[in-house]
Amino acid sequence: MATSSQSTDWQGRYYHIDQVLDKPGPRTDPGFLAGDGVKDFLRNQAKILVIGAGGLGCEILANLALTGFKDIHVIDMDTIDISNLNRQFLFRPKDVGKPKATVAAEFIMNRVPGVTVTPYFGKIQDKDDDYYMQFNLVICGLDSVEARRWMNATLVNLVDPENPESLKPLIDGGTEGFKGQARVILPTITSCYECSLDMLNKPTAFPICTIANTPRLPEHCIEWASVLEWPRVQGDKKLDTDDPEHIGWLYTIASARANDFNIEGVTWSLTQGVVKNIIPAIASTNAIISAACCNEAFKIATSSAAYLNNYFMLIGTDGVYSYTFEHEKRDDCPVCGGESLELSISSDFTVEQLIELLVEKQDIQIKKPSLSTPTSQLYLQAPPQLEEATRPNLTKRVSELVPPEGEVTVTASTLPFSLSLRISYT
Amino acid sequence: MADSQDIQTATTSIVTDAQPDSKTRRYDRQLRLWAASGQSALEDAHILVISGTATSTSILKNLVLPGIGKFTILDHAKVTPEDAGNNFFLEGPSSVGKSRAEEAVRLLGELNESVIGTADTSNVEELLEKNPAYFSSFTVVIVHNLEPKLLDKLSTFLWSDDSLPPLFVIRSAGFLAEFYIQFHEHTIIESHSETAPSLRIDKAFPALLEYSLSLDFTKMDPTDHGHIPYVIILVRALEDWKNSHQGKPPQTYAEKKEFKAGVLAMKIKADEENFDEAESQAYRCWADTGVPSDIAALFQDPQLAALKPASPPFYHLLSALQKFTLEPPHTLPLTSTLPDMKASTNSYIHLQKLYKTRAEEEKTHFKSFLTVPIDDALVDSFVKNAHGLKILRGKKWGALDADPTSLGNALTSSPKQTAIHLSLSALSSLNVKQPGIAPTIEALTTEAQALLPAGNALPDDFPDAVGEIARAPTADLPNTAALLGGLVAQEVIKVITKQYVPIASCCTIDLVETWTGVI
Repeated sequence: MATSSQSTDWQGRYYHIDQVLDKPGPRTDPGFLAGDGVKDFLRNQAKILVIGAGGLGCEILANLALTGFKDIHVIDMDTIDISNLNRQFLFRPKDVGKPKATVAAEFIMNRVPGVTVTPYFGKIQDKDDDYYMQFNLVICGLDSVEARRWMNATLVNLVDPENPESLKPLIDGGTEGFKGQARVILPTITSCYECSLDMLNKPTAFPICTIANTPRLPEHCIEWASVLEWPRVQGDKKLDTDDPEHIGWLYTIASARANDFNIEGVTWSLTQGVVKNIIPAIASTNAIISAACCNEAFKIATSSAAYLNNYFMLIGTDGVYSYTFEHEKRDDCPVCGGESLELSISSDFTVEQLIELLVEKQDIQIKKPSLSTPTSQLYLQAPPQLEEATRPNLTKRVSELVPPEGEVTVTASTLPFSLSLRISYT
Repeated sequence: MADSQDIQTATTSIVTDAQPDSKTRRYDRQLRLWAASGQSALEDAHILVISGTATSTSILKNLVLPGIGKFTILDHAKVTPEDAGNNFFLEGPSSVGKSRAEEAVRLLGELNESVIGTADTSNVEELLEKNPAYFSSFTVVIVHNLEPKLLDKLSTFLWSDDSLPPLFVIRSAGFLAEFYIQFHEHTIIESHSETAPSLRIDKAFPALLEYSLSLDFTKMDPTDHGHIPYVIILVRALEDWKNSHQGKPPQTYAEKKEFKAGVLAMKIKADEENFDEAESQAYRCWADTGVPSDIAALFQDPQLAALKPASPPFYHLLSALQKFTLEPPHTLPLTSTLPDMKASTNSYIHLQKLYKTRAEEEKTHFKSFLTVPIDDALVDSFVKNAHGLKILRGKKWGALDADPTSLGNALTSSPKQTAIHLSLSALSSLNVKQPGIAPTIEALTTEAQALLPAGNALPDDFPDAVGEIARAPTADLPNTAALLGGLVAQEVIKVITKQYVPIASCCTIDLVETWTGVI
C-alpha cells in the first residue's frame, strides 16, 4: 500500500534526517546518490519487514517510522502480558491480552503521520517465499533461536544468483540484561545466523538423575515438579507456564520437595524463572540494540554511510564495553556453506548415539533429527509408521549402515534446511 | 485464637502470599537484574533533564518504563516542525507551537502511571543566574547539547560540593556522539562481578579439613564414593600431598600433573564424574587465595586514612575489611554460596552447611572490627560482595580538555575516540563564535587544533570524524538519539541503584562503523 507522502509530510519534518541524505560523509560510498533519489526510495519505495513486536520490535518500529520508512510490516505471534510493560513501550495495561503486532502497528500509525504498518498476528512459518520476496530488508527482534534459524535459512534459500533482488539483507538483534548484540547478514555473502550457532550460551540442562535422585539446588526441585510430577499427577493436562495457578502448583510441589531435602531458596519468582526460562530484559538495552539494528537498516537502504561489518556486541555490566568484528562465514555451514560437515565417530557408535551427539553438538543443535543416506532411511521421527519401521536401526552400529566417507542427511521439522554429514570412523 | 492456623490454611496462605502482586509482575524482568533494593532506589530518584530533544526523551523513556520516581523536563522552547519530525514523544504537527516540555512530559507520562513527570518551562540561563540551588534538589541532572557557556556554569556549580547531583553531559551530531558523567565519587558494593569468590580449598577452614579427613574413602559404599563433592576430594588430596611434600602444595608443572593424576587414581570406578570434576578444578589447590589485588588497592584509599565517625558507611566497612585481612588466613571473609557439583543431596547439603556456618563466624568476626553501628543488611551485602567492591572517582566536565597531559595520553591511547571528542568540542566552540553559521571542515579543524596542547597533532582518524560533524552539525538523528537513550539510561540506572559499574570517563560513539569506545 503506497502512502502519498505529500499529504502527511510537513515543512521541516525531515530537517534532521536530510542532513545525512543531502550530502555524503568522508566514509560514504561514492555510489551514494545524495538528495531526492535516495529520499524517494526510502520514503516511497522501500518495504521493510520486522519480525517480532516485543522488546526489540516496539523500538524497531518507532525508529524505522521516525527515520522515514513508510511501508513497514510486522509479524508477531504473541499477545501482550503485564510483564512486557516495563519495556514494550507501545503497550498499556488496557492492551494486556491483545495481539502485539496489531497494537504496535496501530500505535505507530497514530503517532507518526503517514506511516503504514501492516501487522500479521501469527507465525513466520505461515508465510511463503513469495511473501518474503516483496521486502527490501528484514529486521529480526526475536527471543527464540529456533525462529531466527528459520528466518535465516529462509532468506538464504531465497537467494537466486540470477536475481539480485532476491538477496534480502537480514539484520538481527538480541539482548539479555545489560548485554546485547546486533549484526548484519547478507545471505550467502557474509556469515549467517547458522554460522555462529556455536557462539550461543549452552542452555542449562539438569541431568534427569540429579532431578530424580540427588537434588542439590532449588532449581533441581523446580525441574522435578515440572518435568516429573506435573505429567505424573496432572496426566494429559498441558502445563501452561503463563497460568498463575499452574505456577502456584509447581511452586508448592517444589517447596515441599526442597523442604524434604533441606534445600533452601525455592521462591515463586525462581519457579517462574526456571519453568519459563526467563531472560532478564530492560528498556535501555533494547533501545541500544534496536537503534543499532535500525541504523544499519537506514544505512543499507540509503547508502548514506558504510554499514556494520558485521557483528556488534555490547556489554553494559562493567562500564560500557563493546566489540565490533567480522564474524567469518563457515564453509561447512549447513545453511550457507555448501560443504558437508565432517564428523568422525567411533565404529562402535550406534545410530541412537549419533542422534544424541547431534543434539548435544553446539554448532548443530537439532532437537529431533531424522537421519537418512542417499539410499536408505536410518531413522525417521515421523510419521509414526516410518518411525516404527526405522526404530530397530537405533541400536545398530552406524558403521554397518553407512560406508566410511558416506553421506548422512539430517533433517528436523523445526528447520527449513537439511544438514549434510560426511561420516568417518575411528 | 485469631493468630492460630491449621497446617492447611498456613500452607495455602504461604502459596497465595508468594504470588507476586501486579507491580512485581510488571517489573519482573528487571527485578531479576537489580532486585527490590535497586527498584526502590529508582523509585526514590528524581531526574532532571534539560531540553526536550529527541535524545532527551529517548533517555527518559528508558527511565520512566522501569519506574523512576519522578522526572522533570526543563525547557522553555516551543515545539518546532523540525522537533515534531524526529521525536517520538511529540505528536507530529499537532504538537507544533506547544510547550516542548509539556508535550514530552504528557506523552512520556503515558508509559507508566506510577511515575510523576513535571514540565518546567523556566529558562535555564535565568535559573543558573538567579537560583542555582534549583539544580541541587535532583538525584541526577542530564543535559543534551547544552550550549557551552551554560554547561560550564552548570558543571561548575554541580562540582562545587560533593553532595550535589552527578551531571550527565551528552553531545551528538549526526552519526557521532559522546557522553560523560561528572561525579566526585561512586562506591559500589553490588558490582555483580562475574568472578566467583574463592572456595578457599588451598586454605581449608578447620571444619572443612576435619570433615574431609574424617571420611574413609577406601571403605566407603561405592555409590557414596561416586558422590563425594569435588571440594572434599581436593581438600583431602591436597592435605595428603602436603604431608608428603614438606607442607607445600604442588608447584611445578610436573607436580601439578602428578597431583591431577593422583586425583583420578582415587577413582574406584571409571565413570565417577565427581573425580573428573575434582581433576578439572585442581588448579584451586595452588591458586593461592589471598586478597585480590584490586581489593587490596582499595585499602590505600585516602578516605581510609582519614576515616571519621561521620565517614560514609562504605569506608567504615572497607576499614573493617582491611583489618580482617590483616589477620590469618589473610583472605576476604568466606563466601557462603557454593557452586553446584556432582554430589548426593546429603553430602552437598552438609558441605553447604559447613560453608554457611564458617561464613557466619567470619562475618561475626568481621563485625568486631566495625567502629560505628551499621545496618545488618548492609553488612551482609558488603561481606557477600567483598570480592567485587569498587570505588570510582570522577573528574569535572572539561577536565580532559583542560589537562594537556591527559589529552596527550588520550591522543596516543585512543585516537579514534579522541577524534570524535575533539570534533564535538570544536563544534561546540565554533557554535559560540559563529552562531547560526554552518561550520566548515576547515573551521572545525582549526578549532580542534587550537584545543590541543602545543606540539600535538590531530589524530589520523580526525578527518573521518570531523567530516561527519560538518555534514550533519545540528542533526539529532532518531537512531543516534535512541542509541544514546539506551546507553545513558543504563548508566543512570547503575549510578542510582549503585549496582553494576558505570563509566568513569568519556564514552564516544561512531554509528558509521558502529562502535563505542571510552577515552
